Amino acid sequence: MKNTSLIQIKRTFVLGMVLVLALGCERDLTDDAIPATFAKVGDIFTDDFVSMGSDFYFPFGGSKLDAFSVDTEEGYESSASYRIDVPNSDDPAGNYAGAILRVDGAGRDLSGYDALTFWAKASRGVSIDAVGFGQDFLDNKFQVNASNLSVGTNWSKFTIPIPDASKLTEERGLFWYAAGTQATGGSGYVIWLDEIKFENLGNIAHPRPAILNGSNVIEETFSGATIALTGLTQTLNLASGVNQEVTISPNYFAFTSSNTSVATVSELGIVDIVGGGEAVITATLDGMDAEGSLNITSLGDFNPAPVPTVEASSVISIFSDAYTNEPVDYYNGYWAPFQTTQGQNDIQVNGDNIIKYSELNFVGIQFAVDVPTIDVSQMTHFHIDIQVQGDIDPGDFLQVKLQDIGADNAFGGTDDSDDELTLTNTTLVSNSWVSIDVPISDFPGLTSRSNLAQVVFISDATITDVYVDNIYFYEISAEPTDAAPTPTVPAANVISIFSDAYANVAGTNLNPDWGQATAVTEEAIEGNNALKYSGLDYQGILLGSAQDVSSMTHLHIDYFTANSTALNAFLISSGPIEKAKALAVPSASGWTSLEIPLADFNPVDLADIIQLKFDGNGDIYIDNIYFHN
Amino acid sequence: MESSIKNKISVAVSLFTAVILVTFLSCSTDETQTVTNFTNLTMADEFDLPGTPDPTIWGYDIGTGQNGWGNNELQYYTDRSENIIVEDGLLKFTVRQESYEGSGYTSARILTKGKFEQQHGRFEARIKLPWGQGLWPAFWMLGDDNDGTEVWPQIGEIDIMENRGQEPTIVGGAVHGPGYSGGTAISKPYELENDRFDTDFHVFGIEWGEDYINYYVDDVLYNRITPDDVPGEWVYNDSFYIIMNVAVGGSYVGSPNASTVFPQEMLVDYVRVYSAE
Repeated sequence: MKNTSLIQIKRTFVLGMVLVLALGCERDLTDDAIPATFAKVGDIFTDDFVSMGSDFYFPFGGSKLDAFSVDTEEGYESSASYRIDVPNSDDPAGNYAGAILRVDGAGRDLSGYDALTFWAKASRGVSIDAVGFGQDFLDNKFQVNASNLSVGTNWSKFTIPIPDASKLTEERGLFWYAAGTQATGGSGYVIWLDEIKFENLGNIAHPRPAILNGSNVIEETFSGATIALTGLTQTLNLASGVNQEVTISPNYFAFTSSNTSVATVSELGIVDIVGGGEAVITATLDGMDAEGSLNITSLGDFNPAPVPTVEASSVISIFSDAYTNEPVDYYNGYWAPFQTTQGQNDIQVNGDNIIKYSELNFVGIQFAVDVPTIDVSQMTHFHIDIQVQGDIDPGDFLQVKLQDIGADNAFGGTDDSDDELTLTNTTLVSNSWVSIDVPISDFPGLTSRSNLAQVVFISDATITDVYVDNIYFYEISAEPTDAAPTPTVPAANVISIFSDAYANVAGTNLNPDWGQATAVTEEAIEGNNALKYSGLDYQGILLGSAQDVSSMTHLHIDYFTANSTALNAFLISSGPIEKAKALAVPSASGWTSLEIPLADFNPVDLADIIQLKFDGNGDIYIDNIYFHN
Repeated sequence: MESSIKNKISVAVSLFTAVILVTFLSCSTDETQTVTNFTNLTMADEFDLPGTPDPTIWGYDIGTGQNGWGNNELQYYTDRSENIIVEDGLLKFTVRQESYEGSGYTSARILTKGKFEQQHGRFEARIKLPWGQGLWPAFWMLGDDNDGTEVWPQIGEIDIMENRGQEPTIVGGAVHGPGYSGGTAISKPYELENDRFDTDFHVFGIEWGEDYINYYVDDVLYNRITPDDVPGEWVYNDSFYIIMNVAVGGSYVGSPNASTVFPQEMLVDYVRVYSAE
């Protein structure tokens, strides 16, 4: 016993000496010290709020706003604490508790501290979703998140390390938290916090900052692409031996690009690809190298997919920057165990998002579980842009499958249907965009289209690397909604057969009886007359008199069809001598205005044109048929 | 400015020394004990010569011993420079996670057995510890086995410092003897306030006399063990040799886990031994 007391006495002496020494130092240092601009108060809540001002509690939108109160009975070694009543998940006032505590007034100088600490207990063992500081609802410049803090039913102390205290010279966001009931099956609970404060513990060590969660990520990309660095963390070893990881904002780091002619990186960790070549993005935190890097190979300029031209009002889009996209569960479900396909919507070039799939065997985009299925029953056509990387050999294929899950809105059952389009080297072009526009009728097995759930790509690894863009369904209405464009060629240069804009050749018979089945009508569209051929097989136009168009250079035709799959236009001279010109159908987005060089109709005698003729199928609208030079 | 602070510190240190002296004087007065001042330097390795540790002072234990050196330890001890080297004025133990001779980790254990042994005295070393779950650094001593006629724990063991890597603020000192060894050793932990043992060097030492062992960390005497404190024979009046090592895993610390960072280093600035005048 005497030994023990002897030791205690000695320790007291040591303490005394240290105090004297400390006082001596302090006196000297104050002479040169720069006056502190901001308060160095560390305490936030110790039985009551400390120097927080009056307006400091800001709950998150969507959280239960009044989940917080000061409990005047419970407390850590006291009778007061910060009480959070986490609501049940079905609480109409908000299904979680979350708030920031922002000092009302000037920020605090926290640079002398190394951790946020607090005591906590809960009404049941819980894992608090997130706790931290640096969130001020302004710039959140130095935000720190600690996730999944395990809190038991007895008071215990928690330590959230400061990643780099030298940054926190004027911080208003002193504390924040978010707690829900995902881990408690929706049941609410109570968390008590006390002695919330910043401390200088002196026993936090071994910082290990990381970007990209410490991985060395390899990225093949293009000029104009933008990549945000994520997975920004700092890990510090606490006195308890725990390696406490916190997720932190980019402002704690200094980022560097090894080659700024290829990639630049902003203070916020946004990487802009500015040229072709290779660059490595790394970071330091408080002078220490962060684990992880972004290793960029830029292939230079990117050739984007054609910008869609279909009017947005006629489109249901799965993936396109030209439209508002329907929400999806994912762009790659990483379906275990057989899927090898990597990648999803991770390329962004000049604001254009592109899906990149690599190691493709099969992969699906799904919109069924966490989001509604999509009703495309009113749509008539499907569009997708595909660029295959690398060679396309005979036998290689890429199937695009549409999957509907039927009225039960569930996979399985008897009402699922699907069908696929198979693309081969006759359609796909290596390293070039190919735009696929097909009528929904090309998917005959897709018997229901009201509960579309997936777009699936299947190559069985014959084609492994593809870019995909502009996946959308669209409706081509059976009739044009607008009048054909009004011709602008001066009347003096025109011989008109059918147009409201010109004097037409007199005496022309628009529906000569040549034994055809086609029904001919004239339709007024926005006050402008157009010819309509319903159920076209063939149809003639008999001119009121033979026309000499040899001084003309072109035949102009405006046409519209939603459903034709074949359409030819003929010029006929006496003999008869006729020549067909194939017109592209269907006309995807409204009227198609065509200028056909008259030379294309050789050997028709241009000095003696007596008739025009169309053949093919479907319902066709035609307007502004005229010759001009 | 800087020099003036230094001056103050040195003044303080002198005062502190005075306090110790005063304390010890009072001790001897109060308890009518003989207090020995160990001021005669008998061995010092300052680790100033780069290369292998001084072979006139240090030998090696190699391999895994029996049953992981009796503690289910996981490391294989080598004398490779990858595991033990003198450089930058320091003795560096490097603990590696690697597959080697059937073990998953390598490290080193050096000892003065047969090269430097001493009964009683002041034994101290200035060490910066490794860190992380499952690391077990130690600075300790074993008694002479009298030509193999005695076995542990009869030979006696004095642990000047041992540490669990997952407790970076705590070290312990212990004695193991007949009737009080292993889990029943006589020991006491010492915890640093607002500091830790793996971020800077600390001095670990004992002052060992005929019937006492005093344990120090830096300038703090935190424990004294006397024959009255041990439930068996006092086996510490014999020649002992020094051992330094970093073990991995084993019953004392548990295994490393995913959070343990490798490689790890234990750095020793010096080992000094004094005897009484």
